[in-house]
Amino acid sequence: MQQLLNGIFIGSIYALFAIGFTLVFGILDRLNLAHPAVFAASAFVGIELVERGGLSLWAALPVVFVFGAVLGLVIERLAFRPLKGRADAHFAGLISSIALAGMLIALLQWRYGPDTRRFPPGSFPDTRFEVAGAQVTLAQVVILAVSLALMVGLTYMVTRTRLGRGMRAVAENPTAARVLGVDVDRITAVTFAISSALGAVAGVLFAINVNTAQLGMGSAIELKGLAVIIVGGMGSLPGALIGGLVLGLAEVFAVQYIGSSWRDVIAFGLLFLILLVRPQGLLGARKVREV
Amino acid sequence: MLAQYATTLTFIALGAIFAYSFYAVLIAGQLSLGQAGFASVAAFSAATLAPSGDDVGDVPALLTAVVIGMAVGAVASVVLGLPTMHLRGVFLAIATLGFAEAVRVVLLNQEWTGGAQGLAVPRILTVGMAWTALAVVAYWFWRMGRSRYGRALEAIREDELAARSMGIDVGRHRLAAFVTSGAVAGLYGVLFAYYVRLIAPSDFDFTAAVDGLVTAVVGGSTMFLGPILGSGFQTMIPEIQRAVGVEAGWIRPFLAGLLLLVVILFLPGGLTSLIPRRTRVPSSSGGPGGAADPAPRLAARAHPAAGETVVSLTGLAKEYGGVHAVRGVDLEIRSGEVVGLIGPNGAGKTTLVNMISGLVPPSSGSATVLGTTIGRTPVHRVAAAGVSRTFQHSKLFNRLSALENVLVGAHLVSRPTFLRRLLWLPSARRDERAALEHAARCLRRVGLGELAGNRASSLSYGDQRRLEIARALAAEPSLLILDEPAAGMNHVEAAQLSELIRSLAQGGLTILFIEHNVGMVLETCTRVVVLDFGEVIASGTPAQIAADPAVIEAYLGTADDDPGGRSVADGTLADPTGSSGAATPDAVTNVDPSAAGTLDIPDTTPRNAT
Repeated sequence: MQQLLNGIFIGSIYALFAIGFTLVFGILDRLNLAHPAVFAASAFVGIELVERGGLSLWAALPVVFVFGAVLGLVIERLAFRPLKGRADAHFAGLISSIALAGMLIALLQWRYGPDTRRFPPGSFPDTRFEVAGAQVTLAQVVILAVSLALMVGLTYMVTRTRLGRGMRAVAENPTAARVLGVDVDRITAVTFAISSALGAVAGVLFAINVNTAQLGMGSAIELKGLAVIIVGGMGSLPGALIGGLVLGLAEVFAVQYIGSSWRDVIAFGLLFLILLVRPQGLLGARKVREV
Repeated sequence: MLAQYATTLTFIALGAIFAYSFYAVLIAGQLSLGQAGFASVAAFSAATLAPSGDDVGDVPALLTAVVIGMAVGAVASVVLGLPTMHLRGVFLAIATLGFAEAVRVVLLNQEWTGGAQGLAVPRILTVGMAWTALAVVAYWFWRMGRSRYGRALEAIREDELAARSMGIDVGRHRLAAFVTSGAVAGLYGVLFAYYVRLIAPSDFDFTAAVDGLVTAVVGGSTMFLGPILGSGFQTMIPEIQRAVGVEAGWIRPFLAGLLLLVVILFLPGGLTSLIPRRTRVPSSSGGPGGAADPAPRLAARAHPAAGETVVSLTGLAKEYGGVHAVRGVDLEIRSGEVVGLIGPNGAGKTTLVNMISGLVPPSSGSATVLGTTIGRTPVHRVAAAGVSRTFQHSKLFNRLSALENVLVGAHLVSRPTFLRRLLWLPSARRDERAALEHAARCLRRVGLGELAGNRASSLSYGDQRRLEIARALAAEPSLLILDEPAAGMNHVEAAQLSELIRSLAQGGLTILFIEHNVGMVLETCTRVVVLDFGEVIASGTPAQIAADPAVIEAYLGTADDDPGGRSVADGTLADPTGSSGAATPDAVTNVDPSAAGTLDIPDTTPRNAT
């Protein structure tokens, strides 16, 4: 039971991170590899806000959300918009976002040094609950609640609002959307902002969960994020949620029953299997090639 | 002097070799990140299996290790390549990445690899050996560039579907590219192992794979020098920064990232785009004209004799989720015929030719085209049987020159030249020149001789249509299928096109073409087939069709329809694709509704010239 809950907590963070990833991919057909750097950066920023800014853990979350959104706008502006209309935009976008990620990490190193950082002692509430014989901290409950709330909010926004409709139109056909008066550039920028904001919150939640932030934490989760969006289905938001939870649980149980050194094999074995059997992922739709 | 820079130079060579393993697949448009996994498996197996340098001497030991490593890399890439062949783009990248990570974790948990401590390997590789290996690899890709094989890979990168219809076996080519990549990655793994003294699975992790990819893309993934330039760039930047006294820590990675960003944003095509690219235009513009050496010949194709059946369709039908695009079409086309396929929009014309060319399998009915059974034959086999086509929406290889597009079209009639080019055999040179001249002839035939060196994407719309025809002709087809070749052409160009089609027909070529310019069809075809709602409603000579009441009804509506009815509601009869932009319906309707009873054969009412 304890393992099940741990799997759900870590899985919800994976899901939140992956949803940001898959949002950009699903709508704009671009893979933003600076997303993990946003994840890492916001963890450091979150810790600093608590440590120096004196904010409480929870007050820091909305600030980090905004920080992530701004970072998303910067990424879109610097790494993706200049590539518009290029034949190799797909590959070039990968590389330019990798370059930007490298710069971001370098800046983090400048600001915070290469060492692992932690929240100041006493910033976690002591409240604990007992759920069916398992220990759950208040922090963990909040992690789950925030992740779910953001995911539900995003789904509502994409399916119900005018902005969401614009996003779906751009995903379907950017040219047609432009002709029909959708401001594609604005939608693109907003998509990046939302995506990065979610990645940023995921970063802080991750830091809260394990009480550490490291420069390399982005690349560790990057692979998992990719695995999650494939397992769930590229571009599918509920797919990313399910994929995240599946991965979180699979990892926790792999550690329990097989040994911690084999944990990552489970993730990638799962990923590989899904790709072979169902390339569109659990909930993804197969794109039809037209002649 | 050299010794001082030996380490840097060796790492440049190693980095470049690794980047070539990415280049090998990027050139075919595949994004794979599994190379680190191949390198890892290869390095560990070679270091374990190869004899020690003390027993057989250093160089033989290294060479054995290289052979083992490349073989292991190639085998690993087949193992990974076969099940992932159907994946594209990012999906392929992530699947291969998953493989590489799984390899890393498995190796980390093995006894024989030394686990996380790593495996000690003697240092045998010198800077000279590293650069020799690099030279061999670079030579391989240099000679590949202008061979038939290299062009086929580029064609697959630019447009896979069009490459298939040019007769390229895409699956085999992609797998070949993948195996090459695996072997080169294996080579890198071994050389790396015999240089750094201690290898651990973490040397071949995700970061390593991303570095390799970045190096290849920064250098340029369309020209063989790219990986070397990329590796020089990536390796030198930290060195130069150190030499000029930039502090270690955050500034170096920051500047490296910044430079990478600048290169990617401002040099599309990577560093190689700084090198002016020679475009090939055949020198003999006037043809061989009785010169001493006999005009080189391409493989000749056996065409069916005049009157033989080329296409035979019985009850052919296609359904798309309940929509009957084509219903029960029976059609026979004999060699030497010029068949025009007309019908209103959505009548199923394109679906029908897609089935004939093997791109779309029929839902029911049977079709035999030049001896191949449609539905069970892959597209490239149908093409090999002699079917060549153009597409309704241009599917050119955009980043290749016009001439190169046509050269790809000649894939089926030219000989493979790559292996002979590696050995500099004169016969390869002859064959390449033959292909070049053949391609240039095809270009001249459609009137694009002057534009041979231009990029396909830079041509005007009408020229692109003609280039597609030249590319299709280059395969010396027995059956040429043209899907709306005149769409978007002005009426002068359309008239030239009719002229071309007639002259091709005189040469005995069987032609099936879809066209909305009814006048042009009636003028050029020996037989016209009219399709409406997926069914053949009429078939006969142009004169019969022009007088057929069913056809007139399908096109113009019956006399008691409301006058503005069908033809105007359809938008345009002449150009329903709307490709001529803002034209008013009046300007493009080239059949006057009041002339419904007559429909003169040479209907030369100008198409709207935009």
